[in-house]
Amino acid sequence: MGALAIKNVTKSFGDTHILKGINIDIEAGEFLILVGPSGCGKSTLMNIIAGLEQATSGEVHIADRVVNNVAPKDRDIAMVFQSYALYPTMNVRQNIAFGMETRGVPKAEQNEIINRVAKMLQMDHLLDRKPSALSGGQRQRVAMGRALARDPKLFLFDEPLSNLDAKLRVEMRVEIKQLHQRLKTTIVYVTHDQIEAMTLGDKIAVMKDGVIQQFGSPQDIYERPANLFVASFIGSPSMNFIPCHLVQQGEQIGVTLQGNGVPQFIALSDRAELKDRVGQKVILGVRPEQWDVEQSEHALQCAVKITEPTGPDTMVYSEVNGVEMIARVHPRAATAAGTSLSLILDVKKAVVFDPETELRIA
Amino acid sequence: MSTPNAHYGFAERWLPRLVLAPSFLLTLVFLYGFIAWNGYLSFTNSRLLPNYEWAGLVQYATLFENERWWVAVRNLGIFAVLFIGGAMAIGITLAILLDQKVRGEGAIRTLYLYPMALSFVVTGTAWKWMLNPGLGLEKLMHDWGFTSFTFDWLVNSEMSIYTVVIAGLWQSSGFVMALFLAGLRGVDDSIIKAAQIDGATLPRIYWKIILPALRPVVFSTLMILSHIAIKSFDLVMALTGGGPGFSSDLPATYMYSMAFTRGQTGLGAASAMMMLATVAAIVVPYLYSELRKDSHG
Repeated sequence: MGALAIKNVTKSFGDTHILKGINIDIEAGEFLILVGPSGCGKSTLMNIIAGLEQATSGEVHIADRVVNNVAPKDRDIAMVFQSYALYPTMNVRQNIAFGMETRGVPKAEQNEIINRVAKMLQMDHLLDRKPSALSGGQRQRVAMGRALARDPKLFLFDEPLSNLDAKLRVEMRVEIKQLHQRLKTTIVYVTHDQIEAMTLGDKIAVMKDGVIQQFGSPQDIYERPANLFVASFIGSPSMNFIPCHLVQQGEQIGVTLQGNGVPQFIALSDRAELKDRVGQKVILGVRPEQWDVEQSEHALQCAVKITEPTGPDTMVYSEVNGVEMIARVHPRAATAAGTSLSLILDVKKAVVFDPETELRIA
Repeated sequence: MSTPNAHYGFAERWLPRLVLAPSFLLTLVFLYGFIAWNGYLSFTNSRLLPNYEWAGLVQYATLFENERWWVAVRNLGIFAVLFIGGAMAIGITLAILLDQKVRGEGAIRTLYLYPMALSFVVTGTAWKWMLNPGLGLEKLMHDWGFTSFTFDWLVNSEMSIYTVVIAGLWQSSGFVMALFLAGLRGVDDSIIKAAQIDGATLPRIYWKIILPALRPVVFSTLMILSHIAIKSFDLVMALTGGGPGFSSDLPATYMYSMAFTRGQTGLGAASAMMMLATVAAIVVPYLYSELRKDSHG
């Protein structure tokens, strides 16, 4: 059963087109992430799903029902906001009960639900406090509790962790994931943080300028980004984009890379898509961790400019084909700035983009 | 070693006091001094000129037996309840409507706020013309052919106090609206969205969530409006002059006519003390609770 389907949804204000034909389809129980830089339209899309804004054209289906003209309260959804949006004059219990009161849930059942939710989120001791007496993390918990009390078909999270400090954000991220695994509900989650997107999502929709750039599983998006934007947005540090020419050497098609030593030919010949592009300019996309330090005659010699130890890995900055290149290497293998490093590329994982269309070609 | 410091400290200590002294002195003499003087006069038999011979509570006794005083007190009750309640209701309604992201909000806001720029005397005079049966609304309706239309509250001693209420509301509702609009703008938008998803109707959202959150604004507005109501003087003087007869007198106009036109200074002083007591009864508990809250952080 489809939990949420968005069909050709557009949104315009006069000549400003915020959303330009969005199509998304997810199954019940899936965790959908809408991710993109600010101004990409992800929050507008969220508001349209919630019914807080009207789509200019297109259809929104929740649980196989067209909800375009259904009021937010009748869409069977619950939403958690970035600013938590707790009702300031009510204590936690009243905050959770407010929606149920409005829907006319009997008092006894309300109490039962409140107690169950409070236990689930370990906030029994907070029930009689006002939001102003809670910390950021506790407010976030209450906001989630308020959503859980509704037991909706669809949960909407609008950048829920953005106002928390780094440590708490990681904790709450894990907690949200646990909650999802336990409750098996369908979740739509808006974020601008690609790490949240990768760690939480079953499906990710990467958005930019009101268009979905790529829709797929996190691993799919990470390994086979549809275009340069997705490749650079997902992953930290970002993917390296190395301009090069596609050349043929004997039977092999490949690219030539040069650091500060002899140019090295790197064969990409198992990819049929590249055959008719020999001689053209392409962009080779290499993730920092796809480099390995190894002494060999095929290794690429690079001058180390800066090293950034992060603990488990060390980022090595150098230059290849005239552009900056970052390699993530084992701390013991990294050498000091000013020295030279031999790097081997994991060719199978590298991707190739067309510099004109910016789309991935192989 | 300590001498230059001490010298510097002397100027530091005395300069603020020196600068504040004139206004402190003026306030002391012309505010608290005159309150005390007025308080003393209310216990004397002063007529046209002050008479400092102690006469006890005789002026208060006269005041409480005076029918005109009770008319003024009753009028103040009517005026205060309708004026404060009405201005709050109209102001809050306008603010909520303006908060719905209407087009041309800036212009509308200015329009509603403009009456506040006029003095009560101008408001009173303008409304006197509009409500005058021979000049204003009633004449207009008659000229349009609705000859059975009557609106003579201004000259009707039963209804004249209500014309004061109308003019007061016209003047102050926009001000209340501006106060509440500022408060509403401070409310997080997503709270309204959350309540919408929770299924609350717009009136319920405002009544149960937003207005309770604006409690401080409600209290300050109540304070401002009630002291405007109690000391209302110019509006009545310009609009009805307290008439017809003394049917629209308020304590302030009563005090004025006793003290300055009828040569009953002692009686005027006693009525002024009653007004002071009324204001104090409202302001002191409010200040007390506010200041106490501050010191508790």
